[in-house]
Amino acid sequence: MAAKVDHAQFRLVIPSQTRYLNLVTGLAKRASLVAGLDDATAAKVSIAVDEAVTNVILHAYRGEGEHSVELELRFTEQALEIHIWHTGQGIRSDQLVLPDPKEYIKHPRKGGLGLLLMSRFMDEVQFKADAVSGRNECCLIKKIS
Amino acid sequence: MADLSIAVRHIGDVAVILPAGFINAHTVREFEEALEGQVQQGRYKILLNCKDLNYISSAGLGAIMGLIETVRENDGDILLSNLQENVFAIFDTLGFTQLYRVFHEEDQALAAVAPERKA
Repeated sequence: MAAKVDHAQFRLVIPSQTRYLNLVTGLAKRASLVAGLDDATAAKVSIAVDEAVTNVILHAYRGEGEHSVELELRFTEQALEIHIWHTGQGIRSDQLVLPDPKEYIKHPRKGGLGLLLMSRFMDEVQFKADAVSGRNECCLIKKIS
Repeated sequence: MADLSIAVRHIGDVAVILPAGFINAHTVREFEEALEGQVQQGRYKILLNCKDLNYISSAGLGAIMGLIETVRENDGDILLSNLQENVFAIFDTLGFTQLYRVFHEEDQALAAVAPERKA
């Protein structure tokens, strides 16, 4: 008997290489439209996904391209959820310090804006670690109003 | 199609940079080199005409931030024009529209940065 497939979610696994970012962000944008979000919101979701996947590739995996990044998109009536898993260096939500935009503008420097964009453009951003599997997760949630 | 292509025009002492496509962590080095190349040539008045820029992530914003002090120390500036809605949203969300002068059209920006030039 064929396994039951949940059509409200699907997964994509990419190599940990920035050349695939455009593919992932394009998918995130179109998934947002399918979920019922408008164009402007879909663009913001795609930026948030870019930042999350970039963080995994450049920071969690330190730019090493031989690893995998797994994404799962879940469509519910209330929200679009994007789960991003990896086995690199993880971070926890309680370790995060978001830059203050006003201070950032007074003292311009490179870096530090990705997490801020994620938190501004999504309704929820969660970082989790699974001690059993050794996998780390970033979960992005956009509510459908 | 390439993720990013960059054209550069010189109008007086202003370097007009036209990125087309997507600026993300994969393409940002190309964008950075285009900006740095102008500064190395002594061109400190830089206008980013973003009419064909579909998307910019924090990597691209970092490249701009990395040069703003240098150009302003040399009596120059980085200006932005022709921003698409989602690109404007990124700059505005982070408060960057307070840090950079943003114009609807390239001619308006040129008139502001080189007032002697007739727009």
